[in-house]
Amino acid sequence: MAAQDPPTANGDVEEEEEDDYMNMIIEEPSKPKEKETYTQRRMRIQRESEALGRVKSKAEKAAEEAAAREAALSTSLFGTTSQANKGLAMMAKMGFKPGAALGSKDNVDARTEPIGLNMKEDRGGVGLDSEKKRKFREQAEGEVKRVKAEEGDYRERVRREREEARLEGMVGAAMRVAERMDGEREEEAAGGQQPSQEDGTRRKISTKPLKQINILWRGLVRRREEKERDRRMRYDLHQSLSRLPTYEDDTEDKDDKRALGKDKTPYMLVEDLEEEDPELDELNALEPGERLHKLVMFLRDEFNYCFWCKFTYPDKEMEGCPGLTEEDHD
Amino acid sequence: MTDRRPEELEMSRAKRVKTAGELDPSTNPYLAHHYEQDSNGYSNGGETSLSHFKRHKTTAEQAHVAEDGPNNPFNNRPLSSQYFGILKTRRDLPVHKQRQEFLDMFHSTQILVFVGETGSGKTTQIPQFVLFDDLPHFNKKLVACTQPRRVAAMSVAQRVANEMDVKLGEEVGYSIRFEDVTGPSTILKYMTDGMLLREAMHDHDLTRYSCIILDEAHERTLSTDILMGLLKEVALRRPDLKIIIMSATLDAQKFQRYFNDAPLLAVPGRTHPVEIFYTPEPERDYVEAALRTVLQIHATEPEGDVLLFLTGEEEIEDACRKIQLEADEMIREADAGPLKVYPLYGTLPPAQQQKIFDPAPQPIRPGGRPGRKVIVGTNIAETSLTIDGIVYVVDPGFSKQKVYNPRIRVESLLVSPISKASAQQRAGRAGRTRPGKCFRLYTEAAFKKELIEQTYPEILRSNLANTVLELKKLGIDDLVHFDLMDPPAPETLMRALEELNYLACLDDDGDLTALGKLASEFPLDPALAVMLISSPEFYCSNEILSLTALLSVPQVFVRPASARKRADEMKALFAHPDGDHLTMLNVYHAFKGQEAQDDPRKWCHEHFLSLRALQSADNVRQQLKRIMEKSELDLMSTPFENKEYYTNIRRALVAGFFMQVAKKEGTGKTYKTVKDDQSVLLHPSTVLGTDSEWVVYNEFVLTTKNYVRTVTSVKPEWLLDIAPTYYDVPSFPKGEIKTALQRVEEKIKRKKAMKGGR
Repeated sequence: MAAQDPPTANGDVEEEEEDDYMNMIIEEPSKPKEKETYTQRRMRIQRESEALGRVKSKAEKAAEEAAAREAALSTSLFGTTSQANKGLAMMAKMGFKPGAALGSKDNVDARTEPIGLNMKEDRGGVGLDSEKKRKFREQAEGEVKRVKAEEGDYRERVRREREEARLEGMVGAAMRVAERMDGEREEEAAGGQQPSQEDGTRRKISTKPLKQINILWRGLVRRREEKERDRRMRYDLHQSLSRLPTYEDDTEDKDDKRALGKDKTPYMLVEDLEEEDPELDELNALEPGERLHKLVMFLRDEFNYCFWCKFTYPDKEMEGCPGLTEEDHD
Repeated sequence: MTDRRPEELEMSRAKRVKTAGELDPSTNPYLAHHYEQDSNGYSNGGETSLSHFKRHKTTAEQAHVAEDGPNNPFNNRPLSSQYFGILKTRRDLPVHKQRQEFLDMFHSTQILVFVGETGSGKTTQIPQFVLFDDLPHFNKKLVACTQPRRVAAMSVAQRVANEMDVKLGEEVGYSIRFEDVTGPSTILKYMTDGMLLREAMHDHDLTRYSCIILDEAHERTLSTDILMGLLKEVALRRPDLKIIIMSATLDAQKFQRYFNDAPLLAVPGRTHPVEIFYTPEPERDYVEAALRTVLQIHATEPEGDVLLFLTGEEEIEDACRKIQLEADEMIREADAGPLKVYPLYGTLPPAQQQKIFDPAPQPIRPGGRPGRKVIVGTNIAETSLTIDGIVYVVDPGFSKQKVYNPRIRVESLLVSPISKASAQQRAGRAGRTRPGKCFRLYTEAAFKKELIEQTYPEILRSNLANTVLELKKLGIDDLVHFDLMDPPAPETLMRALEELNYLACLDDDGDLTALGKLASEFPLDPALAVMLISSPEFYCSNEILSLTALLSVPQVFVRPASARKRADEMKALFAHPDGDHLTMLNVYHAFKGQEAQDDPRKWCHEHFLSLRALQSADNVRQQLKRIMEKSELDLMSTPFENKEYYTNIRRALVAGFFMQVAKKEGTGKTYKTVKDDQSVLLHPSTVLGTDSEWVVYNEFVLTTKNYVRTVTSVKPEWLLDIAPTYYDVPSFPKGEIKTALQRVEEKIKRKKAMKGGR
């Protein structure tokens, strides 16, 4: 038994000294083969002697006393008296069978168990104990309910958070679409005079001040630029090694600077980024669903593009698009 | 009054043989009266008014005429004026209206169940109704009426003797454990149920009696339960025997069913409606709530006395003091009426018990608020004592009840919730004189859910060792199938048989041994009886006899709350270092000394001892001594100068109480009981220090802590020597006690070997 279940036994060892002591006694004979190391033995002996030597508190003693009493009270004498009990033998001679009751066989109410003992420990009135128990139970039930309610809240919150994150993702996607389409339109308007030299993002950063970008996707641009700034700062710091990026070396001439990539002023965008943008803040305070809705409507109105169909319709009517919302497109 | 029971029993038996067998009963002066009746009365149709009565064919009218005199129908003496006065009130009792109905039913059946509420007059009247119909004096028989309590047997017998205008101990007598007040002319005997059972041991068919009335059967005492089982069998063997089971509660169907559907006669009591009040919330402290309620009744309710039920002597005395204090203050400050508080419990001296019948105090000044009396009692006020004038009952819902559990072999008194039946009974006490009120200090829901229907009968709450011995002596061999109304748990019987076997009262076949037969002669627990019987072997039977008597009476030491220290100092004067038994013996010897006997009352008062307990111990000792002499047990003492004097007594103690031994555990104060392995402490009242390894105890007291009370130190060698079958060491469970006993065994062996070697 004990050998089958070593983890629990070990767990007890760590938790309860008393239990541990008891366990050792039981376990010993069942595991004779496993050799105890010196340390183990020493530990065990120490624990055992501690358990033996410790003076038990009054409460512990009372609890033990009560436990011994309860144990004795709940064990039938017929089950426990292994060796032939003379009393039982005499009764058997009179025709008694364990499990039966005494008296006339017609007496169906005859009891087979002794009456239990109930110790009254205080002057509490009749029903006080059960009333206390009832209150305790109610309280416990209340606690369970509260925990459950909280559990429900948590689930709801997580669900909401997920939904928000999903919507936020779609807002991002819609912003990108809007930006791209807007960019394409601007390029078309410019007649493709400015062939792209660098990648689009870089170009945009340098071309437009934030305030002039449509509020609907300004957030996207701003985030991108912030990211770019951070990247550059890290890069500069890395490149300059021990030097601060703002350090002007007098010995470097213009060519040196170009060669070292220092020709651009590192903080070109800083002012722009650091400026307060109450318009953007106001927009961001809206629910993501609402922002998404604005973007979707913008794309439809401006470009006849349905974000959900992922299709640019030829005219304003947008024939074939099932509706304005995501659900319509399910 | 000394007990004349055993002698009287012997005498009356002998006499009966004489009257029946010899031809000239007139030579016996005690039988002169009988003789007179025999020759003049019955057959010749002569002088008494009963002579022409036909047995079991009489009518209420005939009896009515006979009762009207002018001569006493039973002894033909002129009736006194007092008699006629009482007769008038008797005829107003509820039972009287149904006399004819009773007689008709009595004639038609062998066993009758009679239900009458308290106050119906059944205890006093029914036996008299029977006398006029059964006419036992014409057949040299008696009518017996059993009572669960000694006091009731005595007081009812006195009352009925007055009603019949005879002297107590003549036509009407009583017989209780240590007192027999009957004579050769006795035709109606009130007795405790235990006494009738003792008589049945020698006379299995109860041939002395023509009618047996078991009164207060609803109380379901151990003896009543066994008597019912016995009577059920006797009824088959003796068709001429009439049996009446009287009960105060309406749970009579159970009795009817048990007695093969015996007919039932119910007489309404004289009761008034009682309004019952519950508390809205359970009480935190029932004693405090009870005091509050009593004082509130006194302050706000109209005239009428109060009965409060509490659980024990100490609680009651304490409550009485507090109520009186508070009430005195109410009188001073709020002009409340005067209040008198009386305690009432079993061990209270009779004179003090009598005080509860005093009328309530008069108003302090004419026209002032009426006085009130408050009785604070145990559940003896529930059924057995009738106190008129009670209008308010306060019921906290608890009583002290004996419990026994065979699994830990503990018989103890525990405070437990009462039953619904009990609660109803208590409430009924308020409606004796006029409509009353009962204040239950628990909620209605608690009444419905927490209280059991009926109180468990005593047989389910007792150690049955004594009962088994009695049953064996009653000739009942099949204890397993003995038809009891509520058979106890089989384990209880097993324990009892086992204990009796260890005490050598029963052999392995379950038959009574010589020792068992002898032990059953003593009205004692088997352990005490065996100790007493084996005491001559230890040369101390005189001392053990005293000790047995002391253990059979209430506590001899008095320890009033007001003078605890002084009481303890006085007790220390008698203390013996080896234990409480020896200390009690010292007390008894001092009590019997010249100094104490000169003025026992004063001496006891000075030494904080109970005179009543000591006197009753003295009385019990006399009784037991007679039985010992009759059984040819030698009375002897070890000379006091002999250093073995006390050792012998302690060894004799072991001979009876070897199953009540505890051994000290390790270094602490706790002890562990042998075989049952229960942790116990020595009761604080002990004189014994905690340095005794092994102790015998008289009593296991179950509270939140387990105590053993009345302890004396013993040597383990004695246990092995005196009770070898019980102390069969190899059969002991592994543990400290076994190890200790094994060491003792080895020591004994070594000693023997050394002696043998020499």
